Amino acid sequence: MYGGDEVSAIVLDLGSQSCKAGYAGEDQPKSVFPSVVGSVESGGVVPDGGGDTDMEAAKPGEAEKAKARKLYAGVQALGYRRDHMEVVPAMKDGLVADWDVVESLWDHALRDRLLIDPKEHPMLLAEPSFNTQQHREKMVELMFEKYDVPALFLAKNAVLTSFASGRATSLVVDCGGGSTTVAAVHDGYVLQKAVVRSAIGGEVLTDCLQRTLEAKGIQIKPRFSFKRKEIRPGEFEVVPVELPNTTDSYYAYAQRAVVADIKESVCRVPDSAFDDNSYANIPTTPYELPDGQVIEIGADRFKIADIMFNPTLIQTIPGMEKYGTEAGVPFNGLPQMVIESINKCDPDIRRELFNSVMLAGGTAALQQMKERLEKDLMEEAPQAARVKVLASGNALERRFSVWIGGSILASLGSFQQMWFSKAEYEEHGPTYVQRKCP
Amino acid sequence: MGDAKDILGLPKLGERGSTEKRKTPKDAIKKPDGIHREVYALTGGLPPIMPTLDPVSIKKRTLPSKKISWQWLPFSTSARTDNLQLYHWVRIIDDSQPSGDYAFAKYNKVVDSIRYTDEEYNQLLVDSSWSREETDRLFDMCEQFDLRFIVIADRFTPPRTVEELKHRYYSAAKAILQARAGPNDDLSDHSFFKDSYNVNHEVERKKALNIILSQSRQQDREDAEVIAEARRITEARLKAKGLEESQVSTRAALHVDTTPARLPSPAATGDISFLSVPVTVASTTSVQVTPVPTPASAPSSTPVQTSAPIPASTTPVSAPPPVGPRPPRVYLRGAWLAQQIHSVVSPAGVRTSKRVDQMLEEYGVRSKPKVPTAAVCAEHLELRRELLNLIQLQKQVQYKENELAILRENPYAEIPATPNTPKRPHRGLENERVSTRATAVGAEFEGFPSSGERVGKREHKRKAPARFQETPTSPPYHKRARKMKGSES
Repeated sequence: MYGGDEVSAIVLDLGSQSCKAGYAGEDQPKSVFPSVVGSVESGGVVPDGGGDTDMEAAKPGEAEKAKARKLYAGVQALGYRRDHMEVVPAMKDGLVADWDVVESLWDHALRDRLLIDPKEHPMLLAEPSFNTQQHREKMVELMFEKYDVPALFLAKNAVLTSFASGRATSLVVDCGGGSTTVAAVHDGYVLQKAVVRSAIGGEVLTDCLQRTLEAKGIQIKPRFSFKRKEIRPGEFEVVPVELPNTTDSYYAYAQRAVVADIKESVCRVPDSAFDDNSYANIPTTPYELPDGQVIEIGADRFKIADIMFNPTLIQTIPGMEKYGTEAGVPFNGLPQMVIESINKCDPDIRRELFNSVMLAGGTAALQQMKERLEKDLMEEAPQAARVKVLASGNALERRFSVWIGGSILASLGSFQQMWFSKAEYEEHGPTYVQRKCP
Repeated sequence: MGDAKDILGLPKLGERGSTEKRKTPKDAIKKPDGIHREVYALTGGLPPIMPTLDPVSIKKRTLPSKKISWQWLPFSTSARTDNLQLYHWVRIIDDSQPSGDYAFAKYNKVVDSIRYTDEEYNQLLVDSSWSREETDRLFDMCEQFDLRFIVIADRFTPPRTVEELKHRYYSAAKAILQARAGPNDDLSDHSFFKDSYNVNHEVERKKALNIILSQSRQQDREDAEVIAEARRITEARLKAKGLEESQVSTRAALHVDTTPARLPSPAATGDISFLSVPVTVASTTSVQVTPVPTPASAPSSTPVQTSAPIPASTTPVSAPPPVGPRPPRVYLRGAWLAQQIHSVVSPAGVRTSKRVDQMLEEYGVRSKPKVPTAAVCAEHLELRRELLNLIQLQKQVQYKENELAILRENPYAEIPATPNTPKRPHRGLENERVSTRATAVGAEFEGFPSSGERVGKREHKRKAPARFQETPTSPPYHKRARKMKGSES
């Protein structure tokens, strides 16, 4: 690369849905796995010191805690059903909730998947655009103390997405798993006053789809709960397997995995606002569930995707009527969030922001999302501004755009002066991160 | 045949013996030394003079003299303040280590920031709305963010607008620079002084920009409509003014008898639709049809009506532009007349225009006037119009007589629709009315009551034959006849 200089930095992006890790300079993360862990609480102290994926939450100084947790991270470990294994997420509301879980995730990423020694590689971490000072300091501490990295940098998600497309100024619409964030980036810095968030993300859509299917009487069986026995050559019979010690959270997690796959393969964003009448006669798409059952999904696939643009639809789904009112805050659709965010910015840069609206995130990989957003924005935006929505054509690139931006940034020659080094950390303390990583 | 064989190179009968001879000399010439015969023949059939390269010597390529290897080496950059050592791949040539600074350190550009000392602050920069800490923080952030004021405004703790920050920074910087500059230094070239920051202007500009950008599409559309409407109204008013001025210059061209002047009044009281429709047509520059007289047209018709009696005597001819075809600024009257004739007559059809020409010939009138003065041209045009009207009416009469004949024979017969019957929708009639109005020659505002009432008359005539049973046709006819007499005399 012309402006690039390979220092073998590592880029880690911890999202609410999945964690991405890989080397800087590459175009895709080497390791992607869900950012949840399975935790088995065992009574008494578990003396187990070996095993890569195990992590003892009970520190030596806190022996009063009788229960120790074994945390299993990674697709393989999670995919294997264990008795009494609870699924614990790392993030809540877009911010880190459980630091032990985060540690185990990073361990898994660095030691098991990338097979590196963190001491030798500078780390670029992607953080949410609305991260608090406390979280940042804790993250910095964790990295320097536990992993002993030589240098570190915390970059905001929105900035990295913007860099992934080669722009310094843009409005980033990040439709992630746990939430949707709209943030304005100006000249490489996030304008914090213009960050707009909504709790509607990929997981909400998955939940809605699940309820809809259940209301139609379709029972989603998680993969571990049945076996397919061959009774005649070519024909299979589904035999349910009794597993009484499976926790509810694990059951739900496995179910959600199946429904998420349905959502990703079948859902499409409608070209205009969804209403039941016009979509009543839409032809249905078949989908084969893991247990062999074939289900037909018709208008629902548009309805689910349209929730992003019209969140009041959630309340029409049986089982989720109370969703919006719980939070107390009415949710805005995506175009309204964009307009809100832009209006909070300085009028001088608004035109430029309208001109470069970037779509990122896993949920943004839904088909027709870009066209629909562009159409809706053109209606709502003022005449004076030209609206242009950018999104990379490749669905994988949209999903990993934060990671890709980090990869680009960490391998630039002129970035090497910006690392927050261990020496600086020892000299100034973790609060220095505010200065070094604005 | 023999020639064909010769061309093909086939042996002729009886020459087989010679072919054998031919073969051997060919073999003798061929030198299969690893090259084809034809290639060898390119050299002239003789061995080359210069010796060629020995293929054995060609295969070996000269190896590069230098030894190039890549090593993973630490580096430090002058752009960093600490001594962090990162590693990267370096191309090593001949085992000599690379020297010099990190290649990318030269891209580390910083903005020259201005810092003040305490005395300078106390002397120059004390300001009522800015505390010392805030000013310090502002200058810190300016250095950190390289004067990106939008980002600074975003993160400044007691929130301040971008204009305030800029104003404070630039005024402070200017004061410091001026104080520091010696008597010889010329500061006028410094960008701070050349383009000085005007805070009020910026605030106003930002407000205006905000308003523009916050308008939704709907509002924009409404604004555009309002502006277009306003423009139309002003243009209409200008035209009305222009009309009144030209009304003052009366012409003794055609003296229209008092009947047209009288007609507006019953028309006005009775059926305002005729006048008001042409008026609305004139008041909107686009030839739009307003089927039912809108309330807007009613008030505008009254001022025109008051001017109607005065210009009734004149026939509009000269410069001010009519509603229909616009005259050029400088024109030959003859050519202009031709244009007007065309616009009047062509909507009626080719056949009728030919009829008009025929009738003109019958009456011995030249199709182009000999001396095209204003009056003459106007008369000519009027004549053509009248003729056109006559022809159309004659056609109407014929249709109706035909109908009558059919009905007499068979009272229940179906009468096919003829043109100009009321079966046509109201709007179509309007269109006709309007189009003839619009193509009225030199039809200025002063003129169109007269032509308007003429249209009205035509209207009557149209309607009269259609509503055969209802209205007697006599009064318009009488009037028509009288008019004709008047013009002929």
